[in-house]
Amino acid sequence: MRPLPLVLAVLAAAALVLMPLVVTDAYVRHLFIIAFIFAVIASNWDVTLGYAGLFNFGHLAFFGVGAYTAAICARVLDWSPWLGILLGGVTAAAAALAIAAPVARLRGIYVVLVTFAFGQLCLQLVLSQSQITGGAEGIVRIPALSIGDYRFNRDFNLAYYYTALALLATSTAVLLAAMRSPFGKSLRAVRDNPDYAAARGISVARQRVLALTLSAVFTGMAGGFYAVYLRVASPDVFGFATLSLALSMLLIGGVGTIVGPVLAAIALTFVNESLAGIRGLEDLRFVLVAVVMILVLRLSPGGTMAILGRLLPDPAPRRAGQALSPRKEDAQ
Amino acid sequence: MTETLIATLVSGLLLGSLYALMASGLSLVWTTLGVFNFAHGALMTLAAFVAWTVCVPLGWGLAAGLIAGVIAAAAAGVVIERLLVRPFYGNRNMLLITVMTTLAAMVIIESGSQYIWGARLKQLPPLMEGSVSILGAVVSAHEALIIIIAPAVLLALWAFTRRSRIGRSLRAVGQNQDSAALIGINVSAAFALAFGLSAALAGLSGVLLGSIRFVTPSLGVEPLLKAMIVVIFGGLGSLGATAGAAFVIGMLEALLILALGLYWTPSVLFVLLILTLVLRPNGLFGKAGA
Repeated sequence: MRPLPLVLAVLAAAALVLMPLVVTDAYVRHLFIIAFIFAVIASNWDVTLGYAGLFNFGHLAFFGVGAYTAAICARVLDWSPWLGILLGGVTAAAAALAIAAPVARLRGIYVVLVTFAFGQLCLQLVLSQSQITGGAEGIVRIPALSIGDYRFNRDFNLAYYYTALALLATSTAVLLAAMRSPFGKSLRAVRDNPDYAAARGISVARQRVLALTLSAVFTGMAGGFYAVYLRVASPDVFGFATLSLALSMLLIGGVGTIVGPVLAAIALTFVNESLAGIRGLEDLRFVLVAVVMILVLRLSPGGTMAILGRLLPDPAPRRAGQALSPRKEDAQ
Repeated sequence: MTETLIATLVSGLLLGSLYALMASGLSLVWTTLGVFNFAHGALMTLAAFVAWTVCVPLGWGLAAGLIAGVIAAAAAGVVIERLLVRPFYGNRNMLLITVMTTLAAMVIIESGSQYIWGARLKQLPPLMEGSVSILGAVVSAHEALIIIIAPAVLLALWAFTRRSRIGRSLRAVGQNQDSAALIGINVSAAFALAFGLSAALAGLSGVLLGSIRFVTPSLGVEPLLKAMIVVIFGGLGSLGATAGAAFVIGMLEALLILALGLYWTPSVLFVLLILTLVLRPNGLFGKAGA
């Protein structure tokens, strides 16, 4: 990392760590926790949709699988919710591996269709197996997190705030490292020119399977944490509203940047929540998010990171949004 | 036993007819423009709500509602093409971007209709009252009408794209845009026409469905998923393959419901699809490279 982005990153991280000292309001902290969770979803989605160029529209299914895993572990099996969250990452990765087998062989629109249908299948399974999953009502009264006698919802969600922040920090660090590694470079090679990548000895199918599985691990853990934190796992996590919100975060932040979706997730969560507070806008805020998404695709396909990249003297962020750059099909 | 089987087959025929109507619109847009329209289900919702408004509060009858609904959907389809699809022609990521813009259109239509019409359950009256008996299986006249309308509409669509000059120009544009433009076909108009026609088909299926199910903002969600399963199964290449796959899936679904019950059917259907795709990555009737 070059000096300026590094300084900015350290400053941002320090601000987030110190935030609870300034902000003691439980609701604002709640918004930050939700924002961190969405930041994990959006930045992990970036691995498949942005870096690997894999048209994955079933990413929220991994989140839902994690949420229901943690809920079933903690509520039905009576295990520790901590274990539930970890297992959420494991089952989400397993689900990703299962869906990756057919997806790795498919191309273009069929990848969209199968991943999308997979998310809807998860929803159908949850609704139909209501004796385990609670059907449309979901699983409620999930035990809260605690260490020893300290329950995490004390001190205005202080411990939840830091757990969510730790999850986001770990996920972001792992993703950034992975995307800078030869593995990340091979993903971009597969995205930009699969034939050339294959000619250089990269297995397109294997890299896609790995990218999907990697993107599911933290997403699943975020799902588990989400269920344990809200103490409910509901089928809404598989719905179009969550999907389009997460997608807009990814696009507005900047595809193929990891950091962009994180920032956009935090900003959009606050915008979305403040709009929800205005009477009459409850339904229209999704319209607004969708309109912004379309405008970003038309005006700046690289998202906010591409705009920032033009302002910063650093050439690195200018690669932002390469996955969606409006190049014509004349590369052959 | 035979009665159950006949009832199952008739219900499979009904499902197949509905799926064929929905999926043929998706297939039409795909073969002409190479765009997968995620707002297809939302256009069904829009048409059903418009038809309901014309039919119930205004009291102009279902025929007027049907026409208004289909026109509204077709108009919305053309608007989607102009605003959300057209700007991205020639973009190397057009497929992915249009998936996202039409997904956004779906959100706009669904949340918008929730805002305008509210979440309260509404229902359209049937096209025809009463019931008929098909080989001993009793179905409502409305459902029987769907079984007749769907193949007729599909046949008309097939004849249109095969026999008429305009229909053939749609196929020419789908096969090679540049050559089509060279021989004097207005490519831009063909795109708008394909989108409008597809949206009209979505509108028709939406209004027909609105008498069987409740008209809610999420009316089109489940049909869209089913239409997707159909096009995965049949491949997106041709109208015939899509319609054939629609009836296969409809029959399969009816038989699975009979054998396994309502709960397990979607999952089993999905697993069968995955197996189909692993063995034949371009769909059951698809050709390689489609």
